[in-house]
Amino acid sequence: MNCAECRENLVACLEGLLDAEQSRQCQAHLESCEACRAEYVAINRLQERLTARGRVAAEVSLVEPVMRVLHHKQIEPERTTLMSLLFKSRWGFGLGAVATAAAVLLIIGLATPKAQAKAADVLARGAKAVAKLTSIHLRGQLRTLPADNFSYIDANSAFYPIELWKQFPPEAKWRIEKPGRVIVMDGQQTVMYIKSAKEAVKVPQPTSSAFDTDWLHRIANLSDTINNELRLAQAQGWKLDLAEETAADGRLKSIVTVHAKCGLPENDYGRNKFFHDADTRRVYRFDSQTERLEGVQIYLVRSAGEVQIFDLSQIDYDQSIDPSVWQLDLPADVSWYKEPEKLPDNEKYASMTAEQAARAFFEACAKEDWNEAGKFMSPVSKDTKDYLGGLQIVSLGQAFTSKSYGGRFVPYEIKFKNGKTQKHNLAVRNDNPTRRWQVDGGI
Amino acid sequence: MNSLDQDTGAELSDGEYVVSSRNGCPDHFRLLVQRYQRPLFAYLSSRLGNQLEAEEAAQESFVRAFLSLKKLRKPESFYAWLLGIAARVLKEQFRAAERRQKDRAVAETLLEENPGSEPEYPLEEVIAVLPESYRQVILMRYYEGLSCQDVATRLGMPLGTVTKTLSRAYALLRQALQARENAETTVN
Repeated sequence: MNCAECRENLVACLEGLLDAEQSRQCQAHLESCEACRAEYVAINRLQERLTARGRVAAEVSLVEPVMRVLHHKQIEPERTTLMSLLFKSRWGFGLGAVATAAAVLLIIGLATPKAQAKAADVLARGAKAVAKLTSIHLRGQLRTLPADNFSYIDANSAFYPIELWKQFPPEAKWRIEKPGRVIVMDGQQTVMYIKSAKEAVKVPQPTSSAFDTDWLHRIANLSDTINNELRLAQAQGWKLDLAEETAADGRLKSIVTVHAKCGLPENDYGRNKFFHDADTRRVYRFDSQTERLEGVQIYLVRSAGEVQIFDLSQIDYDQSIDPSVWQLDLPADVSWYKEPEKLPDNEKYASMTAEQAARAFFEACAKEDWNEAGKFMSPVSKDTKDYLGGLQIVSLGQAFTSKSYGGRFVPYEIKFKNGKTQKHNLAVRNDNPTRRWQVDGGI
Repeated sequence: MNSLDQDTGAELSDGEYVVSSRNGCPDHFRLLVQRYQRPLFAYLSSRLGNQLEAEEAAQESFVRAFLSLKKLRKPESFYAWLLGIAARVLKEQFRAAERRQKDRAVAETLLEENPGSEPEYPLEEVIAVLPESYRQVILMRYYEGLSCQDVATRLGMPLGTVTKTLSRAYALLRQALQARENAETTVN
């Protein structure tokens, strides 16, 4: 590979998009050419700056607050929307006469800007109906593991309750809880507590969303849901259905269904494990009278068939929230997560491969050398020590990646002290300032 | 941003959203907020060093932008114009802090230090000078966190076009950063 070819392929090389042979050629040229290497370093540095800037803003969600202010200033002109047509003109289907539940599906093609504008109006109407809210309380259930990540889904798991309390600005606060995890943003700071591990993580400032709860916040911040669903539907070519239904009590419901595709390859390890990385059918149900969202059902769409993974059937708007909801009582022996810090011998760890780091971590656990294990995991809680102490490594495989995850997965099989074995994939990532691989999951 | 594909209507340009927002379609302003909330927040956050204040300043900037939308002469320059509004909001916040503190020294420290976490030029200012098609790819890749493949899918362009666009965008960003740093050195 010469300089011109190398320069042409630098971005693809940095993005990991070259095949093995091209990558090898590119690396070989970089090793021998100082000018290209300097270019590579400069681009890499810029990419790191951009990534850091994006990370700063990853959780920000301003659409709802901005539109709420605009609404309060009464600068949004009234207009006829598709939602109003749905509710008022009922599309001319005369569904008001239907006594029992019945639905008419109207598949809105998104092929033309006009149709997109109609679909936007349908969903925006729902957002407008909640623009003046002061609080919201969602109670639903999710197929997940109780103590796992808040966006983790598992079609084979039982349903577990998940709940969100949210107080909107000016005194923004929120709490999300499932059996094994809870997060409280009390207006000053954001703390997540993992109950079984007695581990806590603190963000020392208020946040609008944190710790992979974005998907649930987006349902609470309805206009964000709407904007996101619509943009994604438009951009990805997802199908979006509108339906009208008369419920048993005679009230008219409007139902918006989004058929979301994650775009990950069938064989990607991360596929269907988290909300954002799953093919889902999302059903939003609005009441005709209040125009408010009444419920959400989300189905995981697999080749083996659909499985409902989320059901939100209880939404309380503007109810007073007991102040105790914003309190989080932590046990005295809670372990706090700490960002990895540079070690005197940091380079030794930073130069490891993911496989080497996984081996070093498990070997430290085997010897119960918690100081060493702590170089790959912070904190190593008592629960973790009890669980992993004295283990034996049965096998370690070659690391692999997923398009949905910034780190690597290392396949492993270990034998615990009690004789039981476990075969899984250790998630490790090194995108931290120390560049050391840190255990991120999969235990 | 360029209208990518009018037939599928995947993305409308900033200019088109501005014009339709002016013409009584505020939902299109929502889409502009959605598009620029992250870079605007990152810019303000780097200046203020406080997430909550940055959120408030970003919100204020968007509201002022909406209220002044009719004054925007070049609808296609929405993002650069929005950053200008945000800079004025920042200035007001610093002045208010100065008044509150009643201690000029403290306020000056604030002004000086509050590039804060990023002593270099905020990238968001430099991104504003990129041609719209380049800016679009940078924002999707870094501020929306999409992979190159996802950007390609979303924009309906080959993966190679995305990496080439990124490559050109990086070159322009580096030139612009260098020019600003040189200007800074000259001033100092």
